[in-house]
Amino acid sequence: MRLPHRLFITGATGLVGEGVLHQMLRNDPGLEAFALVRSELRWRHVARRLGSLVSRVAPVLGDVTQSGMGLEPLVRQRVERETSIVVHAAADTSFSRSLDRARFVNTLGSYHVAEVASDCRQLERFVYVSTAFVAGRATGTVLELDNGCQSGWVNAYEQSKYEAESTLRAGALPWTIVRPSTIVCRGPEGDIPQINAVHRALRIYHRGLAAMIPGDRENPLDVITSTYVVEGIAKLALDERALRRTVHLCSGRGALTLGELVDTAYEVWAESPEWRKRGVERAIITDPATYSLFERAVMETGDVRLRAVLSSLSHFIPQLALPKVFDTTLAERLCDSPPAVSSYWKPMLRALIAGSWGQTIEKVAA
Amino acid sequence: MTPNKQNGQVTPAIAGISYVFPEGSQTVAELSGNSQLTSSAATMEAFGFGSVHVAVAESPYQLALLAASQLLSDTGVDRESIGLLIYGGTPGSMSFAPADEAEESANGLCTMSRFKYPATRLQYDLELPNAWPFAVDQLACTTLLGAARIARSLCLTEGIERALCVSSEFFPANAGREAIFNCTSDAACAVLIERNGERNRLVSATNVTKGYYWDVDALRDEIVASYFPTARHVLLRTIADAGWAPADVDWIIPHNVSARSWEILSSLVRLPRARVFSENIIRHGHTLAGDNFINYRDALDSGCIQPGHRVVLFSYGFGAHWTGVAVEA
Repeated sequence: MRLPHRLFITGATGLVGEGVLHQMLRNDPGLEAFALVRSELRWRHVARRLGSLVSRVAPVLGDVTQSGMGLEPLVRQRVERETSIVVHAAADTSFSRSLDRARFVNTLGSYHVAEVASDCRQLERFVYVSTAFVAGRATGTVLELDNGCQSGWVNAYEQSKYEAESTLRAGALPWTIVRPSTIVCRGPEGDIPQINAVHRALRIYHRGLAAMIPGDRENPLDVITSTYVVEGIAKLALDERALRRTVHLCSGRGALTLGELVDTAYEVWAESPEWRKRGVERAIITDPATYSLFERAVMETGDVRLRAVLSSLSHFIPQLALPKVFDTTLAERLCDSPPAVSSYWKPMLRALIAGSWGQTIEKVAA
Repeated sequence: MTPNKQNGQVTPAIAGISYVFPEGSQTVAELSGNSQLTSSAATMEAFGFGSVHVAVAESPYQLALLAASQLLSDTGVDRESIGLLIYGGTPGSMSFAPADEAEESANGLCTMSRFKYPATRLQYDLELPNAWPFAVDQLACTTLLGAARIARSLCLTEGIERALCVSSEFFPANAGREAIFNCTSDAACAVLIERNGERNRLVSATNVTKGYYWDVDALRDEIVASYFPTARHVLLRTIADAGWAPADVDWIIPHNVSARSWEILSSLVRLPRARVFSENIIRHGHTLAGDNFINYRDALDSGCIQPGHRVVLFSYGFGAHWTGVAVEA
């Protein structure tokens, strides 16, 4: 007789980790879980949101940056004895970290999780939550496999996640690598569970501080909902066909173009008579060379705020000028089709304004 | 007046340009040494600035009078045919004081001296009995383009034969000389507009003013960010209003702001054949309102602009105005 699954999940207090934990507990009433947590306070917020499902979760204190995740020996023994599925979702998702710092959490951290997982006697699957942007500076169609690192990366986050993937591929664990695109909202209602670089860039545009954007109007720009990502990971963790496979949880060929995304944002901002009255011009989508000239001119001058704006964008915005389509053939075979971006982009933009650009979210999180 | 031969319609045109700089000049290194720049001299030099003209003993009015007298003398027009005199630049009584007494003379704006107007005095000194004088204020560096636009319109609607537009800008002798990363210069410029001309025809004029940016200190970052998208929009609209395609433009005559900003703007606008006449940035700096016409005159004199060339003059006025004028040389 097959024993019920026991999940070990990292990053359970983060957007994807919490969602996957919730989804997997809901999908399988027999499932029990260990949740690695660094802060009891943050876990209490998650526990409250899990409701009655929390009775099947054992929080364990630890940290992926420490050897053996810093687990107490007895806890580690229990984890090794009972765990059959690992979902490693913990990460430092900031784009502005130094390479050393990003590697410390994302690459070394993954190594520590894999190290414990390799001692789990019943392990059936190790799901690594990576990012579609391990493709870095590559352009064109990005396949659901190791596409190499020849093109380099836009930021240390991308590189550290790529390196974590490589470490995993080289090992003997029964891995599945999932690569979500940039999550912009939960679902078609557009509610935003977590503010990220895309939202911050949109806020800069709304404030009239975005003069230009590098790229081409026709470049696809992939974004996705957290619901699609979470449901996908929950399915793939139990699907034998996903063993040693890499899966893109992205919009893929359904991605809207940069021009469409930016124009829609402008239309939504302009719904407000107060904003319209300011006469903010549409940002110009231009080639990277012209954008670099502008960036250099601002950096050479003393405008502290504008420099800070461009500096914050610099870890993310070059990706806009690197057109790529994420192949989703396997994802669509193993999971559902991704939702149409047009179904949630506009509601997300309206939710951003209604939520005062994340202040509501931050208040709730605090 | 004989209608214009090319299209059978009356087309106002630039009949002459004259300009005057004060005697003094300073390099950006000297200005930096005198703490008259916010950015370093190296930054200003990287942005294309070399030296600027600095008034000391001259008053703005003296420079304006000199530029206008020279223009009337050069063109030899009948002074009674001038029906309009538009003055722009240093306001009221301040214009009569030498640059090194500017701060004291500013007090005159709060006394009866405020009614001593340079436009009126120019009408008298230049002997223009039929000229209706008025001043254009608050258009900053687009003042002279704005004046030319008004002159063009009144020539067309009121049948005025000739209009004289004069600007004279200066900074008090020891004032800072950097305005949003541009190194400013003192100068006066006079432009004669005729109701109908064969050369240098004013084909179209476009202006966008964004009142939201009136508070230039508080909204400085937003103004810098809005500059390029709005400038691009105005340039393209000026070209379209002239009935031209972007590929028809031969020259852009800029205001002398940083060469870097023109590099960026040219790249954004993408006029395949157009060249930017930027030679004057290094030698004159930014003379506020006078730049475009000083540059146009120099481009004509140097043979860069040839008859029939299609030229776009563009300027941005802090406060916030974006103005373009299309001229067929």
